[in-house]
Amino acid sequence: MSADARGRFLVIAAVVVSLALTGTYLAAGGASYTPAQTQSPCDPRPWRDPETLEEIAEQFSFSALDGAACQLGVSRETLARALATPQSRERFTRRHGIGDAELARAIRAGLLRAVDDAERAGALSPLVAAPLRAGLRRIPLDQAIELINNTRSLLDSAESLLGPAQGLLEQFLP
Amino acid sequence: MSAPPRPRLAALAIAVGLVLADSSIVVLALPEIYRELDTGVAGVTWVLISFNLVLALAAVPAAHIARRAGPGRTAAIGLAVFAGAGLACGLATELSTLIAARCVQALGGAAAVTAVLELLPATVGSERRAAAVWAAAGATGAALGPAVGGLLTELISWQSIFLVQAPIAIAAGVPVFAVARHEAATGVIAGELRETGRPHWLANLALAMISAAIAAALFLLVLLLIEGWRLTPIGAAIVVSVMPIAALLGNRLGPAAGSARARAAAGAVLVSGGLGGLALLPKAEVALTLPPQLLVGIGLSLVLSALTETALAGKAPQAIHGGWTISARHAGVAIGLVALTPLFTTDIAEQRRDAVDASTAVVLDSSVRPLLKLELSQRISDRLEGERGRVPTLGPAFEPLPDDPEDRVEVLQLRSELQDQLDRGATHAFSPSFGLGAAIGLLALIPIGLARRVDL
Repeated sequence: MSADARGRFLVIAAVVVSLALTGTYLAAGGASYTPAQTQSPCDPRPWRDPETLEEIAEQFSFSALDGAACQLGVSRETLARALATPQSRERFTRRHGIGDAELARAIRAGLLRAVDDAERAGALSPLVAAPLRAGLRRIPLDQAIELINNTRSLLDSAESLLGPAQGLLEQFLP
Repeated sequence: MSAPPRPRLAALAIAVGLVLADSSIVVLALPEIYRELDTGVAGVTWVLISFNLVLALAAVPAAHIARRAGPGRTAAIGLAVFAGAGLACGLATELSTLIAARCVQALGGAAAVTAVLELLPATVGSERRAAAVWAAAGATGAALGPAVGGLLTELISWQSIFLVQAPIAIAAGVPVFAVARHEAATGVIAGELRETGRPHWLANLALAMISAAIAAALFLLVLLLIEGWRLTPIGAAIVVSVMPIAALLGNRLGPAAGSARARAAAGAVLVSGGLGGLALLPKAEVALTLPPQLLVGIGLSLVLSALTETALAGKAPQAIHGGWTISARHAGVAIGLVALTPLFTTDIAEQRRDAVDASTAVVLDSSVRPLLKLELSQRISDRLEGERGRVPTLGPAFEPLPDDPEDRVEVLQLRSELQDQLDRGATHAFSPSFGLGAAIGLLALIPIGLARRVDL
């Protein structure tokens, strides 16, 4: 084989091997190996079938998070992390330039959406939803702030909020 | 006047390998350095950039000095400066001191490497063979550098990388000091003062572009392995050793594989193909980096030797034209790092945000019991905070595992999904930079193609 032919063979072999490697990796999903996209908080999220009061409280909290995040124009995940501790909440409000009052208003809107979602999903009877909604509309801002201090308190508060209505809930839960 | 040819040849080759290994030897130590010296990825890359930039700027002037002052004397002073500055690097406690010492080290290195090329023909018998030995020693040093640096960082400390260089430089300098003494005593210099021809611009331009792409491959892969996939420096050193091993295999192909132009073109294609593979990793698995590394390693040995051969063919004096190749290669590395650093630091920050969001969604949507989920979230959040921007190892956040078998299965499932999201984020963060490296490698085909028509 002449030097020219050997050179041509070498270049063709390099091209074939390179295309084979990149093609194989592409076919194996190399272009889509990225973190999962998070869902927009403004889109409705289906309720799972809650079995316990704890799970109802969780779904309720998540719906509230979605509603508040939609109102604030951030992802549900960002807001959940922001509400984890007072420090993270402070960092969040500073970074996004929003005050406590605005945050509380968003949380209140979120809680109302949670009641709507629960009612729409059939997890909450209209008999319970109506007084709950009325109560949430009157909830003072500082209590809303307290409610969002961290996720645990959000869950605990949601649970305690539902607590007095537990008898009714058990009666009206589908 | 001189040591016997064989030990002298070994000493000169070690001097070249040692200096050129320094352009990449700290790559695996960078994460340690930036944590210890309290800086970021963008800041610590200057430990690499400064050395390569000064080497690029100083190589040709150093070659001229070697021809006028005598290569023995220049190489001896260069190695002494290199060793002294290496000690200063090892003792540095601030990033600015380390970078300043690296600049001085590069000045000494430039003098030593170019002067050695002037000394080699007398040792090996011909300029052509001298150029081949010089290029091979440099390529071997640059290829072995990261692995040696990783081993030293893990076994001793990042400072040891610099401290061990001083005695090696002095030992390699022994035969050079003998030549320097001879020059001083007789006033005779080894090199012959001849007119310098024009450098081979196209070959040097291609060298610069390919070096930029290779810098991307090495630097980014190391960061991906250590910072993204949480390998230890020694583990990463073992993984990236595939590249120098493949380069040695590529060296065996030699000129018999085809013309210099064909080898350069094939090498550039393989380097780009390997970088393309790294840009398209379909999973965060070390084994998947091996085929792309094989391509990069074989490609770099083909293209670097072919282009260096082309740049030096028929050119005299060798030291000046060797200086141009050093200048081109290290300018390419410096430019590659300067261009890629802002790109991948932005990508890392962006992907980290996406990965943390995706991970939070995984936790929120998991079927783990709500109160257990809250407890885990707090622990995961603490791990993320504790790692200050690094990709965390999540295992400890899930310990101890719940006693209830059902909870345990769900927690393990959550842990695996969470790790997957973080791995996806870490891996994808490097893809655009690897892709850019691949594009630069392909662009090098333009000067390689043009070189034939002009003067090959």
